[in-house]
Amino acid sequence: MNHIVIKKGHDIRIAGIPSKDVVSILGSDTIAIAPKTFRGVKPKRMVSEGDNVQIGSPLFFDKTKPEVKWASPANGTVQTIQFGARHVIEKIEIKVEGSDALSGQSFSSDQLASADRSTILNRILEANLFPLIRQRPFNKVANPKDSPRDIFISAVNTAPLAVDLEPILESEKIAFQAGVTALSKLTDGSVVVTSRKSMDLQHAGVQTISGPHPAGNVGIQIHYTKPIKPHDIIWTVDAQHVITLGKLFLTGSYQPDVIVSVGGSGATNPQTVSAKVGASIGSLIANQELDEPARLVSGDVLTGHTVEKDNFLGFYDSSVSIILDSVDRPFMGMLALGNNESKYSLTHTFLTFGEKLFNFNTAQNGELRAMVPINVWEKVLPMDVYPNALYRAILAQDIEEMEQLGMWECDDEDFALCSFACPSKIDVGAVIRDGLNLLEAEG
Amino acid sequence: MKWLRKILDKVAPTFEEGGKLEKFYPVFEATDTILFSTDERTHSGPHIRDSVDIKRVMILVVVALIPCYVFGAMNVGYQMAMALGQSSTWWENLLSGALKILPIIAVAFASGAFWELLFAVIRRHPVSEGFLVTCALIPLVMPPTIPLWQVAVATTFGIVIGKEIFGGVGMNIFNPALVARAFLFFTYPGRISGDKVWVAGPDGYSGATALAVPAAEVSQDAVTLLDSVSQFDFSWINMFMGWIPGSIGETSTVWIMVGALFLAVTGIASWRVMAGAILGLTGMAVLTNFMAEVTGSTNTMLTLPAHYHLVMGGFAFGVVFMATEPVTGAHTDKGRWIYGIFIGGLTVIIRSINPAYPEGAMLAILLMNAFASLIDYFVIRGNIKRRMVRYAQ
Repeated sequence: MNHIVIKKGHDIRIAGIPSKDVVSILGSDTIAIAPKTFRGVKPKRMVSEGDNVQIGSPLFFDKTKPEVKWASPANGTVQTIQFGARHVIEKIEIKVEGSDALSGQSFSSDQLASADRSTILNRILEANLFPLIRQRPFNKVANPKDSPRDIFISAVNTAPLAVDLEPILESEKIAFQAGVTALSKLTDGSVVVTSRKSMDLQHAGVQTISGPHPAGNVGIQIHYTKPIKPHDIIWTVDAQHVITLGKLFLTGSYQPDVIVSVGGSGATNPQTVSAKVGASIGSLIANQELDEPARLVSGDVLTGHTVEKDNFLGFYDSSVSIILDSVDRPFMGMLALGNNESKYSLTHTFLTFGEKLFNFNTAQNGELRAMVPINVWEKVLPMDVYPNALYRAILAQDIEEMEQLGMWECDDEDFALCSFACPSKIDVGAVIRDGLNLLEAEG
Repeated sequence: MKWLRKILDKVAPTFEEGGKLEKFYPVFEATDTILFSTDERTHSGPHIRDSVDIKRVMILVVVALIPCYVFGAMNVGYQMAMALGQSSTWWENLLSGALKILPIIAVAFASGAFWELLFAVIRRHPVSEGFLVTCALIPLVMPPTIPLWQVAVATTFGIVIGKEIFGGVGMNIFNPALVARAFLFFTYPGRISGDKVWVAGPDGYSGATALAVPAAEVSQDAVTLLDSVSQFDFSWINMFMGWIPGSIGETSTVWIMVGALFLAVTGIASWRVMAGAILGLTGMAVLTNFMAEVTGSTNTMLTLPAHYHLVMGGFAFGVVFMATEPVTGAHTDKGRWIYGIFIGGLTVIIRSINPAYPEGAMLAILLMNAFASLIDYFVIRGNIKRRMVRYAQ
């Protein structure tokens, strides 16, 4: 069995780590899905305000790939459909009433094991759950017409404050195995599951990984297993979504459950909760007292996006981070010696020692400056890629150079730590995303 | 410090958009954020950030220079007293030396700040903290007798031609402080080389640097020759400690090493560059020593051993504070080794083969600044080649 050792990277010691026990919370009254947030998708709605929908019934489809539809995560009435610029659907909100779900064909494990590709693919498309499958390069919703080289599943979360996948996969072993079996039909290559500890799985290659974040990022795992070449297509599925797919096959219906971690310096009661896909942020943080001004983030603090209480959990997100939002201005701060309470740095530029957790706030801790390459990007990027050469090739929009430097193997989430650590406060991940967009448009 | 914060907040609108002095916003912004750390919050990318910023990086380089400043002042005072034949205590040395070098520092900072602010206002870019380092470095690579107007001209040249015309910090090709020194070296060689400038003694006082001693004689053993000098103590240990004539900050290898350790531990300067340079210097010195043996060359410099090269002239200072400048050096780890090794090797070559320029370190670093991106190019091509082989499989 393959074992990957990640040496570069960093586990941010952020305070507010969610407790491991899964807590049930009151369900959300409304549930929403935001079509605009899916990369490369041209959404076209299939419902109108006031329509009744069931769990699993389609809400919208992608004009560029009409067979790819999005399932409703709730049973109820479509309350609002919000449009943005150029009539792009921003959000579809559903008022939750009951829990009826569309049901379809179910499979026993034996049936699954002997099913063919089209049966599995059609079942996923028919259940409107295909968007759970994403592709690399470009980290966007996959195309069912493609035949992926391999399918990668990360069974380890290393992002700050992320849900611990190990107990979830342990308790949902059967569904996870069913999901893996189903996915194994979709590729001529193999399903590769990467985890901390060895797992007993069939129809998949299991490998283990050790080391700090971004070891849990599927892009890094692909890079260490079999790097993406130009025009390779790899599919990736989040571990929790593999369980969802597994349950779809075993029970015949969509169960929009998701385990969400709620943590961060602003969380008074950091915990892991069981929730529904698209739940309102308000319902997820109901157990937190927000006395101080704080920023709410759907997703992890490195790659998530800012939300308000009345917004909703992102489709692929499984954490809500709460970060204190008050930033002070110390006198002559640049000369401060610093200590464990006031500073957190990957460079040893402050007098900080030990492994204490740090109460991060939303301070940028400096102003945007030109690149001064003191090797911090390289320290946190465990890839055989020269980040600052790639960064400059992207700024110069030199596509050929970008490709040569490994653009196909990159995704912005793998560069988030570079942005975190950068003394010039450059958002490296955003530039990588620009590069990917350029490559996708021109390549 | 609340009163100061209040004043700054009160005048802020004058400099902000629509205010009377909005043109001078970069000047206000720089003052404001130097006095009080910025409260800017993350708006794109990760919501939390590391505590280090460019201000911190730059100010720590200045901090690393403090031992060189203090020792430099003491040594300038000590050399003055020696030249006058007086005995003096260490604090008298410090005081008289400080009086000598403070005007140089003041002029360097004043002219540097002037140009940096002027460019910030005209080009509408934020004031870059890098000029603090440039201005802190320039006095240390000047002889104590340097005329102040030359300091101003050199700083101007260093900041404007060495940095601003390329677009400012982060885009420059050559180390601005070295550009400043090289400018003086080639335009006013009489005030920055020779044997009349290194000691701020009485008029006409002559005292050569250690490097000039072996460069001036033929067919001798460099170490014996240095030991025979009676005017100064050119023993290895004394040169290592730094009680010798030279540029203000370059003489004390031991205090430079303290700064080097600080920069390497904080991760600001690349230890690879420093280690590479020492390696290159040692390798090349061993080679020249060997050449002196087998060829019977009359060049005394060829017989100078590596550990003498290390403590003489501006090598240690240049390698620790100039060569490690992250922007103008190589950007890849492998490249940094190569870049460092070449600096070390070239320093010895320039010193030995071309005795007209005994100060080889400055030229070696400037030369390698020019080649740094070429070195990176080859290192990165290696990476690309590996990738292409993989793609072809």
